[in-house]
Amino acid sequence: MSAAPAKTPFWLLLPAKIGAAILVMAKQVGGLSILAGKILRRLTPGQIDRHELFRNMNRMGVRSVPIIAATAAFTGGIMVIQAAPFVEQVQATSFVGWAATFTTIRELGPLLIGLIFNGRVGANNTAELGTMKVTDQIDALRALAIDPIAYLVVPRCLAMVSMMVLLCVIGDAIAIGGAMLTADMLLDVDPRVFWASAVERLEPWDFWVGLIKSGLFGIMIALTSCYYGLQTKGGAPGVGRSVNASVVAAAAGIFIMDYFSTFILD
Amino acid sequence: MLPPLIRLENIHKAFDDAPVLRGVDVDVPESCIYALIGMGAVGKSVLLKIVAGLIAPEKGRVFIHDEDITEMGHLELAEVRKKIGMLFQNYALFDKNVYENIAFPLRRLFDLSEEEIQERVAERLARVALPGTEERIPQSMSGGQKKRIGVARATIAKPPIVLYDEPTAGLDPVTSQKIYDLVREEQRATGATVMVISSDVAGVLTIADRVGMLHDGKLVFDGTADEARKSTIPEVRQFVHGLTEGPL
Repeated sequence: MSAAPAKTPFWLLLPAKIGAAILVMAKQVGGLSILAGKILRRLTPGQIDRHELFRNMNRMGVRSVPIIAATAAFTGGIMVIQAAPFVEQVQATSFVGWAATFTTIRELGPLLIGLIFNGRVGANNTAELGTMKVTDQIDALRALAIDPIAYLVVPRCLAMVSMMVLLCVIGDAIAIGGAMLTADMLLDVDPRVFWASAVERLEPWDFWVGLIKSGLFGIMIALTSCYYGLQTKGGAPGVGRSVNASVVAAAAGIFIMDYFSTFILD
Repeated sequence: MLPPLIRLENIHKAFDDAPVLRGVDVDVPESCIYALIGMGAVGKSVLLKIVAGLIAPEKGRVFIHDEDITEMGHLELAEVRKKIGMLFQNYALFDKNVYENIAFPLRRLFDLSEEEIQERVAERLARVALPGTEERIPQSMSGGQKKRIGVARATIAKPPIVLYDEPTAGLDPVTSQKIYDLVREEQRATGATVMVISSDVAGVLTIADRVGMLHDGKLVFDGTADEARKSTIPEVRQFVHGLTEGPL
């Protein structure tokens, strides 16, 4: 009887594992870049399917308003609840309005709305494109001489980016409203004082930073969700794997992008 | 015999280093129904997708109307695809109602009025024996009905080439024969050149003008339906007659 082959030690396998992970990442970044290039080439006004664009804006944006509104309202309130003991301790109630709006507009608004948008719209988009891929609908479009990138991907990406920015504006407004209400109830800060504190200290650039970030997060969600959808293989289980990979990749991408954009835009 | 409208020369294709097609040559004459038969996973669907320009071969050339589509760019290929209608094995119907599915190629590729589109969709639905089903959602329909809708969509733009990928897969024998009859009638009416892939040899031989058999990545037989039935090539004989003993 021959002896069982000796197990390769972990430390010997480690470089190969790291190399394989880097290769996978490079392949995905390359794939995302190629897709971005294809989308950019088709961004001429005459080529954009307006019907598909408005349809996607409605189902991705308009239908996301309730969940975004609910989340934003509670987030604004939670910020004030968390800050309340310290604000009372140092008697800094006149800063509550500024602190809440500054944090919401520049950071929490784009970040939280981006994550919710990723979970709701990005995941759904990957699932739809993935299902179309595994049921040959993408090939059917190509067989009908219809470019799937122009017909499916471009309107979805434009809808996701524009709706992400709009939802961020709506979400910010509702979050500030939630914070204002909670500050009034919990800290007895008059809404006019809250508002004056925000208006006095906020700069227009703070608002632009939030918008730029939400646009960047929208691009990240749009690209990853379309890329993973179009790469789907292996039937229904493959769709599940793609959705999972897309949501995780976009969420990680949002945080990485947030980190660097905060540095650059500060 | 008319000259070939579709010509495949020395087609090679592999997936993950596993060769599927290893030098396939096929000539499909104009206005002919060409049935491509063979065991499962032998590369029949891959070959059909290569003809439609959906998959690029690693080696070899595909001529349609004497034009090499393997050399073509994205836009040129789209022009060639306008001449091709395709029915997919698992229907590939869109998440729209029957009317919108069938009207889809007309809306995207032609500048027709809604009245003209309605007229042509109604004519197609009557042709595939599904009149009055415009508002129904394909997902709620039977496999045979979905295949018929697929046939209607593949043929509504009156393409000179129609490709059918397993048009009867998963259907009962009666519905299968009805689908084959529909393919035959449609071809007779339009004079289109048709390629049909099927594992259902008995059914497909009732309509095929010519038959090719793929085995082990190569075309091991090319001839008429009668020649296929009488073939002494062991693989063809076993497959056509459904024998359990043999090389397959």
